[in-house]
Parts: sequence; structure tokens; C-alpha cells
Amino acid sequence: MTTEIGQGITVTKTGEQGAFGGELLTINFGPHHPSTHGVLRLIVDLDGEQVRRLKPVIGYLHTGIEKQAEALRWQQVVVVTDRHDYLSPPFNNLAYALAVEKLLGVEVPPRANALRVIMCELTRISSHLVWLGTSGIELGASTMLMYCFRERDTILDMNEEISGFRMHTSYIRPGGVMADATPRFLELLDRFCNQMPGNIDEYEALLTMNPIFRSRTIGIGRLPAEEAKVLGATGPMLRGSGVPWDLRKSMPYSGYENYDFEVATSDLCDCYGRYLVRIKEMRESVKILRQALNGLPDGPVNIDDRKVLPPPREELETSMEAVIHHFKLFTEGYTVPAGDAYAAVESGRGENGCYVVSDGTHKPRRVKFRSASFVNLQPLERMAMNHMVADMVAIIGTADAVLGDVDR
Amino acid sequence: MISDNLIVERGVSAGDAWITIAPENVHSALGALKDEGYRLLVFLTCVDHLADSSGPFPARFEVVYELRNMETRELIRVRAFVDGDPPRIDSVHDLFPPANWDERETFDMFGVVFADHPDLTRILMPDDWVGHPLRRDFPVGGEVVEFSEEHETWQTAPEKA
Repeated sequence: MTTEIGQGITVTKTGEQGAFGGELLTINFGPHHPSTHGVLRLIVDLDGEQVRRLKPVIGYLHTGIEKQAEALRWQQVVVVTDRHDYLSPPFNNLAYALAVEKLLGVEVPPRANALRVIMCELTRISSHLVWLGTSGIELGASTMLMYCFRERDTILDMNEEISGFRMHTSYIRPGGVMADATPRFLELLDRFCNQMPGNIDEYEALLTMNPIFRSRTIGIGRLPAEEAKVLGATGPMLRGSGVPWDLRKSMPYSGYENYDFEVATSDLCDCYGRYLVRIKEMRESVKILRQALNGLPDGPVNIDDRKVLPPPREELETSMEAVIHHFKLFTEGYTVPAGDAYAAVESGRGENGCYVVSDGTHKPRRVKFRSASFVNLQPLERMAMNHMVADMVAIIGTADAVLGDVDR
Repeated sequence: MISDNLIVERGVSAGDAWITIAPENVHSALGALKDEGYRLLVFLTCVDHLADSSGPFPARFEVVYELRNMETRELIRVRAFVDGDPPRIDSVHDLFPPANWDERETFDMFGVVFADHPDLTRILMPDDWVGHPLRRDFPVGGEVVEFSEEHETWQTAPEKA
């Protein structure tokens, strides 16, 4: 029996008896519920106010990015990679760029690697800040958003300075990066590295010992380490369960092995543990940024291969060959040797990977994005089981799934 | 240990190790690899080799499994070529729980049927969708504008629209 109780919410009585003497109720949670961070629909069976069954329904933000990528030339795909995990574009760019570079068999210069690390770590901080701000609102600390978005805005200013875009930077490309860092960017970054540790102290002062926040998160949404591994969770979800697995340390890429940082873990296995992991990660990211800025090597930021990247503008006026390369690249694009490659990076949410298949032409045959959010959403039922509806909000929040990344 | 008679072919592509197995052995081969220590299914997907001139392929659809050994930090890619209408292969959701959604996505996008999957329904596209969008013969822009007159016809009988 289904009844409409207003505002589009329907209630179904299943007739199944719950532990409290009443019947189980099936309700629809989302897809437009503000706490779902996008459009996630959950079909929840409730016994009183406790969750007995939970089924996530996804696909509302499906944009067909993988299909579009097949119709674009290799260098054009970078633009669509930005848009699936819209809170952390450089990670998606980097996963794609690393996979294509693997197929091309090229290695980018050290300065490009350092700039890639800088952009990734800045984005990790900004992505965690969005998570912290929105989770704060859901758990009753609405001031958090003001603090977090204040710092996020300085990061977006830096994005604009280095790439011209505030959010979808498309900065990391196969063969290097879009442009060298400007002196103003380095100045802003220096100021940011000095200010950020103090700002993180401010967030912690508001939340870490806050009795409301602690009672809403401690012991909520437990995911023991063994189960987290079996269910394939990565990123803060896995590290919040005490497993020190971080691709930056475990399988380093882009020169991460040269930086000194710790992998943040927490043995609490609950929402509070995941919060602690993300706070620690922000501090470690600032450490990496400082090291990358101080040790920024000189030199080119792109590979010197005219078959993959266009020649500099000034060369076009004097060299006929440069004009030909330029024309070929922007009409036909470059071809990539046939084969397939997988590259993964540690994004703010976990392992974001890209699997590319080339058939030797100037367009990819298949581009598959392995998104962390898609896999991290599957343990949701396990975590929310027997919790209250309000706790479910905390659990969805700390899973930190970006629905654009889930649906691609 | 995965025995050699399960492996049809092995090789390295751009530094990534891979093996090809017969599609009917997928469950036993992946089970053997899991016992060997490859306990994490990184992703599962499919590649459509329709009119692919880059090599002879045994079948049109290639189902790809990427597995990781978190102790030795090694990756291995397992390929299985399937044909038929619809192409069929065994589900591995009981070995690797994350495969549940990955298999649903592959079914949704390529129409590969995973036998013994507990809930093989569309996951990203709407339930009433006709066709499998990531197949190479499904055109980009092949979708009629929503709420237009042709939309309903196309949804139910795409060949008439």
C-alpha cells in the first residue's frame, strides 16, 4: 500500500514486522535531498526510525563522458575529464594524462611534475574544504561553510592565475602542463602555505572537541578494516579504517616519492575517524606544497615533441615546419600507438584511475574512468545499517561521494 | 596459483602485465588470482572492438578485469573475449563485491549479460532505455531531444524514429 504524504515523498507499507512491534516502512530519500551532495536517491526500509535496508539508486547525473571521449581527439578529451569529479579536476586530468603518456612512452620534465603535484595538492585541500563545510552544515555547525569557502576561494584564485579557469582548469595535459607558473601564482602559493596551518587550527577549534559534532560522528557508520578492503573502498574511507594505503606512497607517480609526508590514518573506523583523516591530510598537503614550492626545479614544463604538443607561438613566424606541426595537431591531432594502459592517482576521494584503449588512430577507442566515489558508495548499506535516519546523513557526508563522479 | 592451462595468452602492454583467459573460465581464473593475493578488483569494464583495424580480435567484446595485489603492489589485467547476442559471461560478484555495480554498469552500457548476477538491471541509464550507449554502433548525438514529438517513438522503437 503506497501513500503520498506530500512534497513528493511516498510511503510504502511492506507488512513485514519490525523489532519495535510496528511494520517496516519503505521511504524514498532523495534524489533532491540537500544532504546527498548532488542527486543520489536512496530507498530505505525503516523500522521506527532505524535503517533496516538501504538501496542507493544512481544515474541522475550521468552525462555520457566516456561516450563523448570516444568522439574527441586525444588532446580534446582532457576537457571532458575535468567534468566528472567536478570538485577535483586536476586528479582526473592527471590520471588521463599519465595513461596517455604511458601509451606514448614519454616522460614529462621535472618542473612539469612539480607543478602537477602543486595543483593536485591544492585541489585536495579545496575538495576536503568543500566536504568539511557541507558536512559541518549537515551536522549542525553551519559556520564551517563560511570558514571553509573563504580558503577555498583563495585556491580558486590561484587556479585562475595559473590556468585562467577557476574550477575546470584543464591544466594538466598529456605531455606536460598548460603553461608555466606565473610569479604571482608562486607568491600566492607562498602566502597560502603560511596561512593554511593556522586556518586548519581554526577548523579544529570549531569541530574536533565540539560535543555536538562528536556525538553525531563517534561510533556512527563503522566500517572495520577487513570489510573496507573487501568492499574495495579507497581513500579516506579506507584510511579512516586504519589501513595505511595511499597511492602516493604505495605506488608513487609524478615524483611523489621525493616528498616527505605521512599517510594519515585513524583506527576509529567511524565518521569521526574519517574526519580526522581528512584534517590530517590537509596538513600533510600543505607540507607537500611547501616542499614543492621550495624545491621547484627550473626548466621546461612540456615535453619537446612536436608530434604531441604544438610549437611555441613565436616559432610559427619563422619556421615552416612549426606551421605544419601546428596545422596537423589542430586539424587531425596526434595518433597514439595501439594498446591499452591504466594509470591511477590518489584523489581527495580515493583511487581515481583512467583506463585508455587506443586502436592507433587519433581518437581513443575507449576511455574508462575508475572513479573512487562509485566504489565508495557501495559500502553505504553496510555502514548505515541499524542507524537512525539522521545518522545516515552523517554517513553519506563522510563517504564524500561526488555524484558527478559516480555517474560520469 | 593460477594454472597455465587457464591462460590463453599473456603479455605486457605499455608496462601493464595482462593475461587472456577463455570466457567460460573467468570465475575459476579470477578465484585462483584472488587466492594468489590479487584481492582488490580495481575496475571491470568492456571494450567494443567493432571494426577495429588495430589487430585481429577473437570476438567483438573484450571484458577487462584489473586486479591489484595490495601486498606486492602489483597489478594484473585479465581479458576475456565474448561474442554472441547478447554476449554472456559469468559474474564474479561473489569473489569481489565491488564487481556488483561494475557488472551492472557494463551490462547497461554494453549489453554484456553476467550470469548469476543478483540484480542485473540498468544502473546509469533510465530503466526504460533502449539500446546500450557505449557500443560503437550507438551514435553520439543519436539521442532525440527530450519532450520533442519523436522522443516517445524513439524511446520505444528507435528504428522507426
